[in-house]
Amino acid sequence: MTIRFKMTKRLRDFVLTDLMRTHPFAAERVGFLSCKPAASLGGLIILAAAYHPVADEDYLPDHWVGAMMGPNAIREALQFAYNHPASMFHIHLHNHRGVPAFSTTDLGESAKFVPDFFNVQPNLPHGALILSRDSCVGRCWYRSTEPPVWISRIIFIGSPMKLIQSP
Amino acid sequence: MTANRFQRQSFLGERSEAILSNCRVAIMGLGGGGSHIAQQLAHIGVGTFVIADPDIVEESNLNRLVGATAADVENATPKVDVAERLIRAVNPNANVIAIPERWQAKPELLRECDVIFGCVDHYTGRDELERMARRFLISYIDIGMDVHRLGKHYLISGQAALSMPGEPCLWCMGLLTEDLLKQEAANYREAGDRPQVIWPNGVLASTAVSLFMQLVTPWHDKLLPILVEYDGNSHSVFSSNKLAIISHTQCRHYKDTEVGDSFFKTT
Repeated sequence: MTIRFKMTKRLRDFVLTDLMRTHPFAAERVGFLSCKPAASLGGLIILAAAYHPVADEDYLPDHWVGAMMGPNAIREALQFAYNHPASMFHIHLHNHRGVPAFSTTDLGESAKFVPDFFNVQPNLPHGALILSRDSCVGRCWYRSTEPPVWISRIIFIGSPMKLIQSP
Repeated sequence: MTANRFQRQSFLGERSEAILSNCRVAIMGLGGGGSHIAQQLAHIGVGTFVIADPDIVEESNLNRLVGATAADVENATPKVDVAERLIRAVNPNANVIAIPERWQAKPELLRECDVIFGCVDHYTGRDELERMARRFLISYIDIGMDVHRLGKHYLISGQAALSMPGEPCLWCMGLLTEDLLKQEAANYREAGDRPQVIWPNGVLASTAVSLFMQLVTPWHDKLLPILVEYDGNSHSVFSSNKLAIISHTQCRHYKDTEVGDSFFKTT
């Protein structure tokens, strides 16, 4: 299945600005994008609708990862997905230029909490994205029973438009 | 061979050839404006085209339909076939998906497009295309031309507008209004053929392609004008004065959250 992820440049810039803010103790910030999917002939399109930053007080001190979300951060994201209904994509920043890559920690941590969204929205895809200063990469869980797949094309809509093919 | 073909547009950037060949573009309406755009995008190197028009070539189209011939009138060739022939003659490797009917018959073909060009005659058609484009976060470029009678003379005018999700829309720009839609609905049966000539279509199509190129492979860093007006009598093309008012405003007609397919479910 071919998966495309689209978001406006305006929203991307907003997310980037938020994720670059320093936190009192966490080494990095994280957030969620609420998204709406649509079927296409070639597969699936995920359209980002809004950004939900994790509140300062919802980080936990942790020396092993850059940012550890507390239970309230996950609970709020789950509640939003349930109420609206929305596909939820976790997002964080690797603060460099060029195509970012999921680290072993990123792969492991996202595999722990992303499938939880199927408990509240079992019929919508969910996933995780890593933003860099000028690029992005992402993985999508289409069903809770299947392993995630790489998002094949990420598009930032704006001027200029940015098309990022999966590496 | 490929390197030679695009050698003289290499100033568009090192990756421009790859960006353009990966681009999927829709052209809705393959008449006077759309046929020009199809031809230019084929030359530029766009890789995939989705083209839709329910009409066939008629005698009255030959004054402006690029690529159409007298034989097409005789054979009642669909306009999409003329456009496909034109695109393939320039770029045999182009992927062309032709819809010889209204695009609404196969809307899913448009969802994956990166940019949609609207070259339709009616306000309702523009409104429907823009709504679809906004819902699936697709940039929409619209062109329109008109010939107005001014006393004993005529005024040729038109515009090319870029409607990007998150930015001002055709309603913000005043190109769509409730009055225009009502007026069009009221006059629908009486509406005859509006005057159309090839050169203003060519100017507006070129302007639309220029907006597209600045969007996907910018060759300078000046702000992209989202509304360009054309005065055919003074032979001038200019960024609209309306931009000063609307360019920094948030669109109030389309909400960022109203995207996607509301009924989507994984099966």
